[in-house]
Amino acid sequence: MTWHVAEEDLRAYAHGALTPPLLWSADTHLAQCARCREQLARSTDPVVLDAGWERLDAALDAPRPSLSERLLVRFGVADHTARLLTATPVLRRSWLLAVLFLLVTTVLVVRLADQPALFLALAPMLPLAGVALSYGPSLDPTYEMAVVAPLHGFRLLMIRTVAVLGAGLVLNGLATLALPGYGLLALAWLLPALALTATGLALSARLGPVLAPTAVGGAWLTLLAVAYERPHETLAPFTAAGQSGAAVVALIGALLLYRSRDRFDARPLGGFQGGGV
Amino acid sequence: MTPVPPVGPATVTATDLSLRFGGTRALDGVSLRLSRGVTGLLGPNGAGKTTLLRVLATAVPPDGGQFTALGHDPRTSSGRLGLRRTLGYLPQTPGFHQDFTAFDFVDYVAILKELSDRTARHSEVRRVLDAVDLSDVRGKRLKRLSGGMRQRVALAAALVGDPGFLVLDEPTVGLDPEQRMRFRELIAQAGEGRTVLLSTHQTEDVAMLCHRVVVLAGGRVRFEGTPAELTARAAGRVWSSAERAPHALAGWRTGVGTFRNIGDPPDGADLLDPTLEDGYLLALDGESAEVTA
Repeated sequence: MTWHVAEEDLRAYAHGALTPPLLWSADTHLAQCARCREQLARSTDPVVLDAGWERLDAALDAPRPSLSERLLVRFGVADHTARLLTATPVLRRSWLLAVLFLLVTTVLVVRLADQPALFLALAPMLPLAGVALSYGPSLDPTYEMAVVAPLHGFRLLMIRTVAVLGAGLVLNGLATLALPGYGLLALAWLLPALALTATGLALSARLGPVLAPTAVGGAWLTLLAVAYERPHETLAPFTAAGQSGAAVVALIGALLLYRSRDRFDARPLGGFQGGGV
Repeated sequence: MTPVPPVGPATVTATDLSLRFGGTRALDGVSLRLSRGVTGLLGPNGAGKTTLLRVLATAVPPDGGQFTALGHDPRTSSGRLGLRRTLGYLPQTPGFHQDFTAFDFVDYVAILKELSDRTARHSEVRRVLDAVDLSDVRGKRLKRLSGGMRQRVALAAALVGDPGFLVLDEPTVGLDPEQRMRFRELIAQAGEGRTVLLSTHQTEDVAMLCHRVVVLAGGRVRFEGTPAELTARAAGRVWSSAERAPHALAGWRTGVGTFRNIGDPPDGADLLDPTLEDGYLLALDGESAEVTA
């Protein structure tokens, strides 16, 4: 053994006060290190020690969390929140790879055709789609069980939204770095992305998980088509005025979403798997 | 029809529940009372069973009517939360994250049920997996488990937190006879001290498990009482004949070649002892065409 559990951590472990990831390290180490087990036995009273062994037994019995879950905990996310996040459908590898492929293709087309509007039109739609699919019956197989659980639906929605939005923005950000020639213009997707996502979510409480993001995405494309028909150097949504408008819409959307938070619990989005009458 | 008083005090009371999907009236003034023990909800496909269960599980709010479960009224947010905290729900098609192990999945549902303390939660996960005899496979991925085992995992998830009201939507569908028997044992155990509503279209489930039965058809309650009372409704209304009886509500050829008919028997008919299935078909009445096809 090249290391041993610190005495302070052993005491915390015995009292059940050690938290992940230190707890996981201690669990694994104690199973292999006689010296630390003896130290644990000496430093605690028998009743507390028995409870500690029981916890160790339970911990060793539980499957090891996935890599992504362990990483989230390392970054300070509570272990139960990490489990909720890893169950988010669109954070799975297949979805992220599909988004990445789409972005790489778009960036290549933009560079070849010198048309940044293509990227700016697509980039805000990806977080909208990701967030729409992360909470609802479309891709979440456990949605029906989740909506009848006491965990507040809005809280689950927000946990997943932040995670999916974060992942989407990082991917979009990386794509932006591949378009250095366009300067700040290449970042003009950010505010529309926030506006579309907030509005799509706020409307989904009333229009449902399919119609709301579809309507918002459609409105975005219509806006771009109208802007394209007018003489322009830069499409209107990506000018300073357009960006200000997007910021206002994002704020209004967020406000509406907050006001309708209880609706996600009282009237779940429906469309459950398996249909049924 | 007049609801029959339940055995023991009512723990779930529904009054005049209705729900419409577009032009379809899925629930049409459903009133019922449940008590502790297993109550069977029988009905043909499209009867509204799943919709009723979803309403009682707070997955879908009704258009009209009301219900309380274990003293909680889900029309208020605090009542809805209170009910969800004491609810165990096994949907008709329980979805799984296939990459999860059995332990991971139940652990995930336990988190949704607000068990955030890791040690206590894992202890509860082990308890419910033990209760459904899945301790040995808790580390296996769900996609590697059989359909019966996955169904037991879903039941374990429903049992997390020791709920007082258990709603099970056709849990024995798709299971082979041995798995079905095993599952029935588990449901019978789960029904001790709890209110369990079990949706099924198999009268054997009701005969073996339930102290009460509700027959639902066309979104309406056609019968509410004990299985024995449902069977008794068919007394004197089941007869045997060499040919299909033209005026029978339902009739089918048996293994010995004769027809078993239910309805109003002709004079001098060869009457048979009724079964629960006969009583069920009679309760369906106008809906019986579907089950005799």
